[in-house]
Amino acid sequence: MKYCKTCHVHYDTTLEHCILCNGELENEDEKEVTYKFSECQKRKTSRFFHRLFIFINIVSILISLYIDFSDGLPLSWSLIVSITNLYAVVMFILLAVPTIWTSKFTKSVIVTIGMVILIGLAIRDHQWALDYVFPFAVMLNILLITILIIFNRKKWFDYFSALIIVTLIGLVPGLLNLLKVTEVTWPSVACFSYALVTLLGIIFLPPKASREEFRRRFHV
Amino acid sequence: MKKQKYWYKLDNAGKIFPAVSQDERSNVFRLSFYLDETIDSTILEEAVNKVLPRFETFAVQLKNGLFWNYFASNTKHFEVEVEPPQVCKYFKAYKNYGYMFKVYYLDNKVTLETFHAISDGTGAMHFLKSIVYNYYKIRGVKIDHEGKILSEKPYSKKESEDNFVSNYDKAKRRNLKEEKAYHLDGERFYNHWVLMLKAKVPTKELISLVKTKYQCTVTQFVTAMLAHAIYKETVDFTGGKKPLKIFIPVNLRPYFDSVTLRNFSLYIKGTYDAKRTDWTFENMLELTKEQFKDQLDKDKLQSRISSLVGFEKNVFIRVLPLVLKTIAFKVGYNILGESISSCSISNLGVVDLPSGLESRIIDADFVNAGYGIAMTLISLKSHTNIIFSSPLKDLSIMNHMIQFLVSEGLDITLDTNYKEGYDEIL
Repeated sequence: MKYCKTCHVHYDTTLEHCILCNGELENEDEKEVTYKFSECQKRKTSRFFHRLFIFINIVSILISLYIDFSDGLPLSWSLIVSITNLYAVVMFILLAVPTIWTSKFTKSVIVTIGMVILIGLAIRDHQWALDYVFPFAVMLNILLITILIIFNRKKWFDYFSALIIVTLIGLVPGLLNLLKVTEVTWPSVACFSYALVTLLGIIFLPPKASREEFRRRFHV
Repeated sequence: MKKQKYWYKLDNAGKIFPAVSQDERSNVFRLSFYLDETIDSTILEEAVNKVLPRFETFAVQLKNGLFWNYFASNTKHFEVEVEPPQVCKYFKAYKNYGYMFKVYYLDNKVTLETFHAISDGTGAMHFLKSIVYNYYKIRGVKIDHEGKILSEKPYSKKESEDNFVSNYDKAKRRNLKEEKAYHLDGERFYNHWVLMLKAKVPTKELISLVKTKYQCTVTQFVTAMLAHAIYKETVDFTGGKKPLKIFIPVNLRPYFDSVTLRNFSLYIKGTYDAKRTDWTFENMLELTKEQFKDQLDKDKLQSRISSLVGFEKNVFIRVLPLVLKTIAFKVGYNILGESISSCSISNLGVVDLPSGLESRIIDADFVNAGYGIAMTLISLKSHTNIIFSSPLKDLSIMNHMIQFLVSEGLDITLDTNYKEGYDEIL
């Protein structure tokens, strides 16, 4: 044990100087003192490269928009560069956030659909994105998660949220077709029908355990 | 028989923590026992995994629902780790097999760090006592549990009850309005490191001092002492607009006959006007006593419970999707959450152990790393540990309090996680 004669306190640690007055500590008795914590090591924060990546993409967006703007309006190629940069940042954040891979996959598909539609709008030709890419990407996503659930029933409740979200999104192409936003009908109708059947299947087919999962996921 | 699959809604206190916790605001608190022998990590891990199924509220993982988070059962194997240098370190549950608590070991110390969303100090203490009891049991040491170790008692559904909801009374709701509080500020330690300074004082002398000289409780005494230290040692509090507000969590279990292991505590507060310039320790203590007497009233506590639960029962809040709630919680907490409190004091009281276990546990720590200075108290055997934790480098407030205790004739032994040379790296 040690003692600070200025502060009149004992010390049960390995300090040589008083933490309060910085005075030298006296050895008080033979009782051995130990440091009872893990040693602290200086380490650098690990987020530098994350920030650098985001910073480079933002700089890229600003430079390309400026150069394109200098050539006069309307903006053309810079929009594609900017959308791609933005997509890279969002995907980077999405993949960096830890979660189960079905959730990452579903979010990636949704972001990619959004990016493709935005590029379509940027090049003033978005029909291919809305008519074909959107419905097929969603159908593929529903199919993959359904297969995963069938073959890995033990963990089906982990994939449940992703399936619900993607089936709800799958109804959108049908609505867009109804509103005459899309031109080619059959992919949208196919996607809508597939999503609707899956959604009804989720509601009516599962056993009692699945209904319990519904209660958990949707408790208000 | 106990269920293998279960799920819980998050309790009122726990609902906000998953959304607002991060490196600089971990919402993790620490309980440690120093044993009379070096810890065998394999046996410790076995003890945790043996005890875990009995503690339903700890054997959970956080899941996302459409409107709220919820806790689902977690049956994965739990792994203990070597204690890290940082006290009350923020951790991500996905790196911990989904569990929202950590069990660390270091030499003769067992540490339980718990994320506040699952439990409070009382619940975590039951869990730690059960872990250590079973550690000795596996080691072949026979100890009579004397009815004080929860893992040795049959499970009761009451342990998992959300007592915020069960004590909700719609008629008792009232508007909770909080003004902003004075904030301690200054240079912080590097990389969210938190300084811990433990002052060990003899319990008998401490109680004798507060009872005979000041006619108050230990918690009232330390609250006034902290308030007075801040008044004396800061340069921007006096004359300012914001009052000093010290938050003190109150264990609600005795008030509402509860045995839950989930969160069931509520803050009361000591509020001190910044415009007054004639503060002394004595008049701060008198005010503290009055405020405690006023706030520690069952009806008033229930009224506050009802107001808090009433907020989450609001239909507009309920139907807001979780993703939007999370954003709202983050924004709301950043604007209001920390601004209403200056610092906190938490007194866990006496650790009640079976005699066979008490003789084997040398010391105990209770640390709550909060905003500014956080003070915690825990008593074991014949001594009380008053533990200060702070991310701030300025020690003048702690110094003032230690000197005050010394001047009152208490024999103080200090321990700290600070080491010479840390100034260079922190």
